[in-house]
Amino acid sequence: MKCVIGAAQLRVFGRAIHAIARISDEFWFDPVEKGLALRSVNSSRSAYACVFFSSMFFQHYCWTAVSQPCHKEQQLSLPCKLIIKSVLPVFRCVNVLERNVERCSISTNPSEHHITFQLLCRHGLVKTYNLTFQECDPLQAVFAKHMCPNILKVHSRLLADVMIHFPTSQEEITLSVTPVKVCFKSYTEEDTDFSRTMLTEIQLSPEEFDYFQVGVDSEVTFCLKELRGLLAFSEAASVPVSIHFDRCGKPIAFSIEDLLLEASFILATLCEAEKEAASPEPACCPQPWHSSRTGMDNPDQTSMDGASNADTATSKKPQQKGNAPSMNSAKEEVKNIPRGPERDVPGRAGAAMAEAAAGEATEAPYEKFHSLFFGAVSYKKEAIGDTFQSLVTASDTEEEFGALQSSQVL
Amino acid sequence: MRFRAKIVDLACLNHFSRIINTIAKLAKTCILRLTVCKLYFILSDKVANGGASMWCELSQGNFFDEFQMEGVAAEHNEIYLELVPENLSRALKTAQNAKAVKIKLTNKHCPCLSVAVELPSLSSSSRIVTHDIPVGVIPRRMWNDFREPSVPDFDVSIYLPALKTMKSVVDRMKNLSNFIVIEANLSGEMNLKIETDLVSITTHFKDLGNPPWASEDDCQSNTQARDLESMAEACIDIKKLQQLLAGQQVNPTKALCNIVRKRIVHFILLHEEVSLQYFIPAIA
Repeated sequence: MKCVIGAAQLRVFGRAIHAIARISDEFWFDPVEKGLALRSVNSSRSAYACVFFSSMFFQHYCWTAVSQPCHKEQQLSLPCKLIIKSVLPVFRCVNVLERNVERCSISTNPSEHHITFQLLCRHGLVKTYNLTFQECDPLQAVFAKHMCPNILKVHSRLLADVMIHFPTSQEEITLSVTPVKVCFKSYTEEDTDFSRTMLTEIQLSPEEFDYFQVGVDSEVTFCLKELRGLLAFSEAASVPVSIHFDRCGKPIAFSIEDLLLEASFILATLCEAEKEAASPEPACCPQPWHSSRTGMDNPDQTSMDGASNADTATSKKPQQKGNAPSMNSAKEEVKNIPRGPERDVPGRAGAAMAEAAAGEATEAPYEKFHSLFFGAVSYKKEAIGDTFQSLVTASDTEEEFGALQSSQVL
Repeated sequence: MRFRAKIVDLACLNHFSRIINTIAKLAKTCILRLTVCKLYFILSDKVANGGASMWCELSQGNFFDEFQMEGVAAEHNEIYLELVPENLSRALKTAQNAKAVKIKLTNKHCPCLSVAVELPSLSSSSRIVTHDIPVGVIPRRMWNDFREPSVPDFDVSIYLPALKTMKSVVDRMKNLSNFIVIEANLSGEMNLKIETDLVSITTHFKDLGNPPWASEDDCQSNTQARDLESMAEACIDIKKLQQLLAGQQVNPTKALCNIVRKRIVHFILLHEEVSLQYFIPAIA
């Protein structure tokens, strides 16, 4: 695979790397025929990011399936894993990159053992980074965006303006929606010392959103730190951000999409069984992750079908294209082999988590952050550990991706 | 006990924010005293503060469009709150182009100053950002701890040089020493000195002018008899001086300091309707 990123797009690409860096120390580098996907998931499986650059994003994109004998198992084309820390220096000072770099080429060569990032800078300077990678199993999150009853779409500038009111140390925030108002507020745990903590709350009207659909009143709490990366990225890309979510406990997805790229950041949300004060609904019980579709087919789904449901408060500006859900339904499939992950939230790792780990999820209620998505379907069609079903159809292709081996890093 | 206030004018809001920023640089925690006409930010000279104390006074009418307060009791119509000024500074930081800012004393999880900033938005209804700043209510029996400090019986009173110049000098000196000596005389001369094992540096300022104090004291009137050239000096913690200078974002109308030889340096900064007094004790 070889691709070339032009100077103008470098900033966007660099910001994508930085955004993904906030999720984890390593990321999946997955070139496919249609483009390049970068993915990452954090160690506690509570945050997942995927950025897909279509081949049109690049000045030049060339991907060929190379079949290589693989001395390991007979696996199909595999993405590889890179350490973020090795890649970040390539895209350090993103704002400066544009000025100094004419283009960046990324190439993988089956006979070599690394991925090469080459920056062609001004004055004939060429910086070459050869980065080793780890072969790994593919990663993909399973999340049915189109089944979310609540969808907001807003320009990234607005979200950035909202988040600026929270201190950079703020870990988690709560998004609370009703059909008539939207509120972001700082989240505090039950044992917080309120006499020392400053709390911030921002109230917005639904009119500020380009698209606003609230099927169910909800209050979801998610990690702000992980989100900030996406906000910076979407500002660089100048693409509006869509937010799909449901009740507390279910994941929240922040995504951006345009002709050249798509990105999704899916974050787990906190669910506390006791937490019910603001919501008129009964205490948010965590939805048990059934192995069948029914787990997701709750009554909320009906509110998703078209915009005609009377319960749904929807407002959108006339120039918006159709119903938000439909833009995703073509791509997403619900893969329902959920799997309880290890939850690693400090101080909250409940026994429930450990029980639910591995294999089919049981009815064990999750008290803390849900991990969402990791349906486990391997290419061998078995539910095993770290292998996952593809969402993006291109990844289903059978071609082999050249077996690249590791080598020295220069 | 109730308190509600509102600022609508952007210039007033920015000025108020600047004052809060200055206070935040000087004190981690301070007392906010509210009376019908004025606000006071007070830092008392406890050991925890390194002995430095502060008294900042502003007239509410110059900032607030609405200001209502009810003290603890009719005959003690004041409110004393302990707060972290940095929180207030942060709450006001993002209110640069606010339509209005309302401050209210509330009791949610604990006593709070709720700062509600109304921001313009693209839609017809404004965006409202609310910050709840936790405060501690100081009971009346402790109010005596926070009385206005009196002007000390100083040896020399002198106007300060341009604060920007003073700040850049002190900033560089801070890298070399923990203590700085301020000395001045009644002929308008001031020196800032540091001394270490390796080096000693003195910066001289001239023609600063000495403010005339209406002297009712016998001691003060003796200044005429005193030698105009003799320097009164005090050695103080350089960090405290640096904090004071760093917090000044706008040039004050009047800036002067009173030096009590080897005891204390008393800075007075006047800016239109705001007065700030800062006391730095001398190191023995």
